[in-house]
Amino acid sequence: MTTMLLLQVVVSGLLLGAVYALFSSGLSLIWGMMNVVNFAHGEFVMLGMYTAVVVWTAMGGGPWASVPIAAILIATLGVLAYFLLVRHIARGPMLAQILGTFGLALFLRYGALWVFGANFRTLPDDLVGHSFVLGGIRFDGSRVLAGVVGFAVTVLLHLLLTRTAVGSRMLAVSEDATAAQLMGIRPQRMQALAWALAGAATGIAGALIATFFYTSPTVGETLAIVAFVTVALGGFGSVLGALVAGLMIGVVESLSAFLIGPVYKDVIVYAVFVLVLWFRPQGLMGKT
Amino acid sequence: MMTSRRLLQLAAIVVVLAYPIVTGGSPVWQRLGALVLLAAISASAWNIVGGYAGQVSVGHAVFFGIGAYSAVVAFVHLALPPILGAPIGMLLSVGVAAVIGVPTLRLSGHYFSMATIAVGELVRVLSSTSNWLGGAQGLGGPAMPRSVFDLSFLSALPYYYIFLAVLAGLLGLTWWIERGRMGFYLRAIKDSERAARSLGVSAGRYKLYAYMLSAAFTSLAGSLYLCMFGFIDPESGFGILLSVKMVVMAALGGAGQLFGPLIGALILVPLEELSNSLLGGQGAGITFVVYGAIIVIIARFLPSGLLSLLERRPRAPTRKTTATPSAASGHAD
Amino acid sequence: MVKTTRRAAMAGAAVASLGLAGRAAADEQTVKIGAVYPLSGNSASAGNYEKMAIELGADIVNNGNAELAKLLPLAKGGGLPGLKGAKIEVVFADNQGTPAAGQNQTLRLISQEKVVAVIGAYQSGITLTASAIAERYGIPFVNPESVAANLTERGFKWFFRVTPVAGDFAKAYSSFLKEQQAAGRKVDSIALVHENTEYGNSVASVIADVFDKDKLNVSMKVAYSANSTDVQPQVLQLKEKNPDVAIFVSYTSDAILYAKTMKEQNWKPAILIADDGGFNDPAFVKAMGSVTEGLISRSVFAPGKPGSVPAICDALYKKKTNGDGLDDVSSRALQGFFVLADAINRAGSTAPAKIQAALRATDIKPEQLVAGYDGVKFNDKGQNILASTLVTQLRNSQYVSVWPKSRATHELILPYKGW
Repeated sequence: MTTMLLLQVVVSGLLLGAVYALFSSGLSLIWGMMNVVNFAHGEFVMLGMYTAVVVWTAMGGGPWASVPIAAILIATLGVLAYFLLVRHIARGPMLAQILGTFGLALFLRYGALWVFGANFRTLPDDLVGHSFVLGGIRFDGSRVLAGVVGFAVTVLLHLLLTRTAVGSRMLAVSEDATAAQLMGIRPQRMQALAWALAGAATGIAGALIATFFYTSPTVGETLAIVAFVTVALGGFGSVLGALVAGLMIGVVESLSAFLIGPVYKDVIVYAVFVLVLWFRPQGLMGKT
Repeated sequence: MMTSRRLLQLAAIVVVLAYPIVTGGSPVWQRLGALVLLAAISASAWNIVGGYAGQVSVGHAVFFGIGAYSAVVAFVHLALPPILGAPIGMLLSVGVAAVIGVPTLRLSGHYFSMATIAVGELVRVLSSTSNWLGGAQGLGGPAMPRSVFDLSFLSALPYYYIFLAVLAGLLGLTWWIERGRMGFYLRAIKDSERAARSLGVSAGRYKLYAYMLSAAFTSLAGSLYLCMFGFIDPESGFGILLSVKMVVMAALGGAGQLFGPLIGALILVPLEELSNSLLGGQGAGITFVVYGAIIVIIARFLPSGLLSLLERRPRAPTRKTTATPSAASGHAD
Repeated sequence: MVKTTRRAAMAGAAVASLGLAGRAAADEQTVKIGAVYPLSGNSASAGNYEKMAIELGADIVNNGNAELAKLLPLAKGGGLPGLKGAKIEVVFADNQGTPAAGQNQTLRLISQEKVVAVIGAYQSGITLTASAIAERYGIPFVNPESVAANLTERGFKWFFRVTPVAGDFAKAYSSFLKEQQAAGRKVDSIALVHENTEYGNSVASVIADVFDKDKLNVSMKVAYSANSTDVQPQVLQLKEKNPDVAIFVSYTSDAILYAKTMKEQNWKPAILIADDGGFNDPAFVKAMGSVTEGLISRSVFAPGKPGSVPAICDALYKKKTNGDGLDDVSSRALQGFFVLADAINRAGSTAPAKIQAALRATDIKPEQLVAGYDGVKFNDKGQNILASTLVTQLRNSQYVSVWPKSRATHELILPYKGW
């Protein structure tokens, strides 16, 4: 009975972790590509969530409709943010990036408050499907969908970066933009592509999370810190690292909340994070 | 030339000194002046480590909170005037800075920032579980002032001059450091830590000194905040937004420059207060839409802060900097 | 009359430098009241509902409502009769959910907008800093909804709290549960699940104390942080221990997560109590009402019989909000506003000291209340001693009162049905 329960906790943690990985992978990609920290990342997720809410309210569409729409919308937002803002601040000091993306975060967060109001929105809980029992463990349809898609998208993103021509060009730019340019790669195009990919992954994450989470203008704040910790723990630029770190944080959170107490789960996650950095300053899978 | 510059400086000093008297008829404007100075103190304190040494801490609220809590604890548990908690808070902050700094300052660029965020959140969560610190409910200072030593005034005028004196002291100290050997070392570390080390600068030690000094003054700002507002809880003491605001203010004005944080505070605090006063009552968060948009525009067109508009002053003209300037200070090596 | 006004105006001009005295001579056509609420930030949802409730109150006083006028003298329209029909103007300010902004904005309302009284400010910490400014300026501060006990222990003379406090809620739960026990239901083990900021901590610790005194067994206490991204471990813990009664003290965000996760994990206790908060948010009721049928909550509000003050106000509020009815928070705000309007009216003046005296003399009967109190009467600490709470139950996505019997409109149905 207790082992079953523990197993249930671990499974919940893994599913949660896959979602963490999904909404962190976009952040990781941009960090790795451009050494830019996007403080508005949580707001990108939030807008993906609102996309799902709007798609459902306007046309009754579930994730099958909202996921592609959110992917396109947030990818567009990413590209826009790149050309209008990030391109200009990326060359500046790290502080300019914090300044610019933090301003963007406030703008988007409160723009959403303006447009959608302060009320919490939710999607109907049977939008994806009911929960089911498998081998004595309960699974919830929407969480399984989010977890599986999260896992798949993160792995695909990793393969794209490491196994394809486009991926190697992107990596070349991230290694040395000037050298890449000499080899005929256009750094700006590659970086815009990175923002598009990151935006798409983030939009997908938002649309999926919305199926089992609440949506509100300030929800991005809650999610952003998790994303920061996930990415730093995994190692900047390593999408695979984000996946491993996401799963790890999900399980550590669930287990510590269950065994020690939910108040302390954040304390434990942060402590683990600081400890990992102490022994491996570059994160779990970061380049040395 | 010299005289016109002197005249300008003199005019600035007169304006700063006379401001609360001129605005005496409007408590709101008077208070705004005090709020600007208070924000400038914490942002200038942050500037020592974040601007001069280039170590972008996004967890400075830890020290602000320590200062505020030390002050309130002096009142609640010892019935002392809150301000007597300030020196204890500063000492405590220096100690905590050493404990946090030794492991985290080894990290470079974003990793350091992220680690400080994590430590900040850690402290916030822990503080809300401590009954002695009032838990999540927070603690209040004296409801009504018992004596003048409680530093609890209705008018913002005394706060204005107290904050002004502290800020002047802090900027004076920063100026002195900037001119001295430590300022030179910090700039070298900021430009390239590796190069600084190769020159024989004990980078780790100087970063830690800057961090501890910065912590002490951030803590003082927290104590002063408590005296003025009379209440502290984990969110308003240790919240991440506080840390981010220190960074944003310094960066907006010009990090690593003496008056950068003050300029940032001069822009952002009135912007925030006035837009909230004018637009906040409508209840749609327009305040922050405007606020966010202005920050974005400044970052986009003046990535090095508003002070970069002025001609850049020659850096430490008497010494020659051999360190190579690099655009991005945050490469993880 | 004209004479006195002019004399007052002259007197006002003479002491205009003192600022405050000038208020009495201010234009009698409108009376300005300041309202400080979280209109942005994490509590913006609640703050905006309260804002609409206060706007409704001002509209009722200024423009009248025929049906309501039979019960409420102030609802005749045409402003405040005690001030020759002066209209009420409410100046709203956003406290952004921070104690600092709450204090800055209260100062602005008092010194710049020259409001004659302030109402606010939702979160207890913000009420604390905001009311400290009003106290120093000698401006009445009416607090309709903050429950921290210490607010009325500061010896303030200008602070008036209309709402019941956490101890009242805890006693209501205790009596309610004891009654269920007497009726043969199992209440041997009680789980207390609360979020870890000011609201959850203060209410939960009071509940634990009162239950302890009343010999009710709180067998597990679970504290969690309000901005949790996940509550599965807590629900699994509950599922394992399976207490007879679970009491939740939560905000809207976590309330939604709990409702969803309890269904996902297929666990429900026989009695599920949700202490107001998020579970009473209209957004929660709308979204999760269908999976929390039979949820028990406390509220000062229940729609009541047709034609009663709460029923009429509820209908008017629904019209204003496009469908969201009054709930616990918004009805308390509306009630607070009516208490203040009544006091200003009786004061017959906008002089703060007169309003303060009128507030002290407040005596409103239960049939004139929007909120389900036994009346409004302040003690010398400024606490409404007749404040009380109802126990409500969620039926078909609407809360109805089920306890105490004397005020119940519906029979209690147990056990908790859920989905």
